[in-house]
Amino acid sequence: MLDAEQIDFIQSGVSIAVASRDVRLVPSVSKAVGCRVAADGRQVTLLLDAGQSQQLLRDVAECGELAVVFCRPSSHRTLQLKGHDACLVELAPGDVERASVHVQAFAEDLLPLGYAEPFARATHGFCTEQLCALRFTLSDLFDQTPGPRAGQRLEPQA
Amino acid sequence: MNRRPTLDSIRPCLEGAVPAAVATCDAQGIPNVTLVSQVHYVDPGHVALSFQFFNKTRENILANPQATVFLLHPQSSARYRLALLYRRTETSGPLFESMKAKLAGIASNAGMSEVFRLQGADIYQVLAVDYVPGAEVPVSQEGACHIARLRQLSERLATCAELAGLLEQCLQGLAAQLNMPQAMILLLDPTAEKLYTVASHGYAQSGVGSEFPVGRGIIGMAAQCRTPIRIAHLASEYAYRRVIHEHLAAADGSALETEIAFPGLDEPHSQLSVPILAGARLLGVLHVESAQPHRFGYDEEDALMLLAAQLGASILALQQLAEDTPEPVEEGAAPLVPPGPPLQVRYYPVNSSLFVDDDYLIKGVAGAIFWRLLNLYQQGRREFSNRELRLDPTLRLPELDDNLEARLILLQRRLAERSTDIELHKCGRGRLRLQLNRAVVLQQVEAG
Repeated sequence: MLDAEQIDFIQSGVSIAVASRDVRLVPSVSKAVGCRVAADGRQVTLLLDAGQSQQLLRDVAECGELAVVFCRPSSHRTLQLKGHDACLVELAPGDVERASVHVQAFAEDLLPLGYAEPFARATHGFCTEQLCALRFTLSDLFDQTPGPRAGQRLEPQA
Repeated sequence: MNRRPTLDSIRPCLEGAVPAAVATCDAQGIPNVTLVSQVHYVDPGHVALSFQFFNKTRENILANPQATVFLLHPQSSARYRLALLYRRTETSGPLFESMKAKLAGIASNAGMSEVFRLQGADIYQVLAVDYVPGAEVPVSQEGACHIARLRQLSERLATCAELAGLLEQCLQGLAAQLNMPQAMILLLDPTAEKLYTVASHGYAQSGVGSEFPVGRGIIGMAAQCRTPIRIAHLASEYAYRRVIHEHLAAADGSALETEIAFPGLDEPHSQLSVPILAGARLLGVLHVESAQPHRFGYDEEDALMLLAAQLGASILALQQLAEDTPEPVEEGAAPLVPPGPPLQVRYYPVNSSLFVDDDYLIKGVAGAIFWRLLNLYQQGRREFSNRELRLDPTLRLPELDDNLEARLILLQRRLAERSTDIELHKCGRGRLRLQLNRAVVLQQVEAG
């Protein structure tokens, strides 16, 4: 399971990229605009714009495989999570608000790096009517902060 | 079916300004996703990713060569997906060096110079480019139209009838037409694996006569690999002084001109070096720089490569013209010996270095030529042709492959910068006139 600090990190307005693959093992990739973690620290729900993620959603529906990378641009800290049971679920109350907060928090992290706010917000722009949720159970966790130790498996907390 | 964007039309996404997400999948069907700082444009059908560590992405593409990349446009935030097929890895050569330099800039900007190190350039075929609809911001359209500006500059160069004018027009045109005010032209010394600065623009000290080693730094790698090299951020390992110092410290380092300081900004955040070629022959390097990061992109690189191609052909043509068809010598009456104490000129044949009243002037081929001119002057000669210098047995210039005209320009510039008493002027195509405003005393100092 994820520890409290890791949960804070992935829910804190970081950049999120999600991948799956089709039956021929061709990868698909898209961006997510928010994330929430259940109280058990294992169930992770990603918020995506369905219009930007059609192939990925098709692939997840088919195989359930999912990899997601979380990165904070200002620190380069990066975590990758994987799951084998990903599926589309209903939005929960407050998910649109959660995504909006995420987009704003990401933009604020980017500003000191020299990006203009409209650009920073646009990178995670989403269409409210197209917001959807993918939920998976955490199976593997990797530290992917750039460096020779990138890719190291992190031991799940007992 | 929707019309797809071409890879060429989305090159700003391939500048490394915004990280890209790369998805791969292993043989068991487990996907992997990672962020990369550089998706490098190779040609209209290929990109390259940097291979820095043996990680899951690398393991996956070796087992399953399919990769999908999510890109953001660094100004508009427009989104694109690339469908890629891994083809091969290059661990040396032009593409590798170009990516290595670019990565050094990115790493330095990210505070990760010790972490990022290129092991290979993984080359992928681009199977499809897809536009992904989403929020975008308008991009300002004020960028210069390079092709139009380049045409103006090209027309300017086409009117030049001699080499010095060509180099000057090129640098002035870069400043005026392409808004690149800091620029320099270095030519190859083919006998010594080094480049010498023959013209510069935009610096307090011209640095004409200074030298740079082939095979080191951005300039030296552009020469060695005959490929454009470009950095978008300040990278200390490519700093000019550091590169020159490392070369001098190396056991195989051949002697470089060190008395004349290399021009260049102390902190160039953007640098672009392109080779000047004439056919298969390397003539030198055209180098531009800027204090602003991300100043030069793929378009600027293309523009400079075209400019350098014209420069290469013109340098060769004008060089030939100056030696083949010199205008006739017209010797007037020798002027009276000017008043005032004589200048002391010392010459050291060991490295052909030359001092005027204890001030260093020049060494090497240009030093030897000038010493010869001074000796002929003492015999009453005032005007000289390029051709006679080329054939002069005391100079032993290479028959071909040495740009004599460029050496003479270098000598003229050094004299103009260092002395008011000695003037060397062009007096027609392939001709020079030496004028001494004070008497000179020549002293040759043998090594002892």
